[in-house]
Amino acid sequence: MSALELCDVTFSYAAASGTRTAPVLRNVSLEVPEGAFALLVGATGSGKSTLLRLAKPEIAPAGELVGAVRVLGRDARGMVPRDSARAVGYVFQNPDAQVVCDTVWHEMAFGLENLGVPEGEMRRRVAETCDYLGIEPWFRARTAELSGGQRQVLSLAAALAMRPRVLLLDEPTSMLDPLAEKNFLSLLFRANRELGITVVVATHAPEAMTDVATCAFELRDGEVRAASLEELSRPVPLAVPGGRSGEAPRAGAPLVWVGNVWHRYARDGRWVLRGLDLKVGEGEVRALLGSNGCGKSTLLDVVAGVSRPQRGRVRNAAAAGQALLPQAPKALLACETVREELSEWAPAGGYGPTEVDAALEGLGLAGAADRHPYDLSGGQQQLLALEKLLLVRPRLLLLDEPTKGLDRAARERVACRVARARSDGATVLLATHDREFVRAVADSVSLMFDGSLAVTEPAGPFFASSWLS
Amino acid sequence: MAARPTPLETWHATVPAALFAGAVALTMLAVHPVIAALSLAGALAFSLGARGVRATLRGLRWQLPMLALVCLANPLFSASGSTLLLKLGPRSVYAESLAYGATMGAVMVAVVVWLEGASTALTQDRLLALAGRRARALPLVASLAAQLVPQMLGRARTVRAALAACTVAGGARPTARHELVRTSTMLLSWSLEDSLERSDAMRARGWESGCTRTSYRPDRLRARDAVALAALGALLALCAACAWAACSGWRFYPRMTGLGPWWRYLPLAVLFALPSLAAATDGGGAPSRVATPGAAAPAGCGRGAR
Repeated sequence: MSALELCDVTFSYAAASGTRTAPVLRNVSLEVPEGAFALLVGATGSGKSTLLRLAKPEIAPAGELVGAVRVLGRDARGMVPRDSARAVGYVFQNPDAQVVCDTVWHEMAFGLENLGVPEGEMRRRVAETCDYLGIEPWFRARTAELSGGQRQVLSLAAALAMRPRVLLLDEPTSMLDPLAEKNFLSLLFRANRELGITVVVATHAPEAMTDVATCAFELRDGEVRAASLEELSRPVPLAVPGGRSGEAPRAGAPLVWVGNVWHRYARDGRWVLRGLDLKVGEGEVRALLGSNGCGKSTLLDVVAGVSRPQRGRVRNAAAAGQALLPQAPKALLACETVREELSEWAPAGGYGPTEVDAALEGLGLAGAADRHPYDLSGGQQQLLALEKLLLVRPRLLLLDEPTKGLDRAARERVACRVARARSDGATVLLATHDREFVRAVADSVSLMFDGSLAVTEPAGPFFASSWLS
Repeated sequence: MAARPTPLETWHATVPAALFAGAVALTMLAVHPVIAALSLAGALAFSLGARGVRATLRGLRWQLPMLALVCLANPLFSASGSTLLLKLGPRSVYAESLAYGATMGAVMVAVVVWLEGASTALTQDRLLALAGRRARALPLVASLAAQLVPQMLGRARTVRAALAACTVAGGARPTARHELVRTSTMLLSWSLEDSLERSDAMRARGWESGCTRTSYRPDRLRARDAVALAALGALLALCAACAWAACSGWRFYPRMTGLGPWWRYLPLAVLFALPSLAAATDGGGAPSRVATPGAAAPAGCGRGAR
């Protein structure tokens, strides 16, 4: 029996005016056998989430569905929420938004409570799941204290505690750092192989999962085709015309100079920056690499003057002409429409409607100028926030994880925009885990470790002598 | 840094809840210098053990001035008593009036310190577990709110920091009022956006699926807890009687009299010392909680997929 089966499915979202929109899925047919680890690959907006949600009636989108969606041999539309919740687990993309309860133990029990599972049985399932996934050490923790990786493992655990036969995951690792991603995938792999749960993962970055996957499907322009795992595992460099100069950075006077900086957030906390020295030359694109919690974002805040270091000195010649793109672009999006968003800083930046129109055109958002920024995809929001900063022509551009959660096309567009800003004379300091992105745009790389810079080299030599790919 | 252990964790939440409720109620209702002093001493002793010296002293930094303020302000409103200390213009300051103010100040500080201590022992999830099985939405709403507040505060910092870091947009720097409106609008939109996904996450896990909900109780009421509750009830009744007798005999004005026999205060001293004593003995040899199967589920639900 197939765990998930779509037969000639066409789906269109319901439009507000009652008219029908263009189909998101067109004549899609696919079959995921029981026990499989299937990948559903495609760019943002290709319909992956829609397809997964059609198999989960309680969260299925409103619209017109033609064809049949069957889960474990049953028509998904005919399943009552109770049966669907028991048989099909669902893990969402955002680690912050999908946790419901404020303690780990309550989150684990939430689904079981909803299904009216008796208390004894509930204790067994919660205990077994926690044992299996190694959650016991933080079982009594508050969910607000957990890292993004732990929150995502908790969401997986909360779904597994309900003992589903099929697990659907929508971009579950796109917001995680590489280490947390590998940890999450190893747990998912064990659940698939040892517990026999069928896993379907929708992802735009399948490279990390091809080793464990048993089959893959690619969604493009609303149509699906079987994809080769071997092809998906092959790394393809980002295509960025006018990207990294390839030369050593210019040896001009440094625009940013940081000397022996020590910084911590509380008097009894650990030092996040420990005697850190940094020089960034004018016109340089410098990437900061390093594991989670090594202090990359803190360094950006210190350079931006948002955090004052306890010891050491910071000189920033562009202190009055800098801009920072935070990890969450929503922290910059304050207006009701895309056009207003780009115009918010027009008086300060000395630009007008012509420049805004040109920026909208460049972003491919000319048709969406009157939409709310939240109606855009994650990648579009990131590009919009970046464009908002670049319109005011900062001398120093600070970027914190600019490609987090973005698909390949969006990462390429961000890289192109950074390259263009560089050629316009901006100096860029960016913190990221995305090595491919760094290869494409950075002149030089600093590896952060233990609160300071372990090594700083031009990008070419850095990657040539790096042990990691 | 390792988190502090929760004090009185080996007892069911009803025991510390009754203990703290009793201590706070008696402190508030009995305006008596000896009772207020005993209560304040007990509250501080518990706070030092449960919250640590630093947190307790940090609290006292504003609590002691508050006590002094109430103490000194009382003679200005109530010029009663018989022991004249000094005259401030037309107002006379009497020792009895100062003593009344000090007692009131001590009552206020003691109640605050008790509540601070209680919040370490009765964490939110333990408090919510006290809610009835039928109270379905209340614990969930409280749980969501408990997450939302720190998340919004964190995001507010991020939003402000992002704007402060964009000095290049300095000419467009909004006024304080405009910035408040801008930040709160952004936070509201952001939270509403999250709530769409959170409600999907709830429905995906069977929320409103038509089953009668059961509840997972991390703590279980055991015979030891029931005995402790009964003993505590008896102690509280005795304390209430003693406090009533003490307060009936005591007079602040015109002269402080009617302290009564010392043993009248003994049960109250025991009650106020009890949280510290219980917390101190908590670590050694207290029985651990072991999960046992609980109540049966309603027919038709719960025996789901295996």
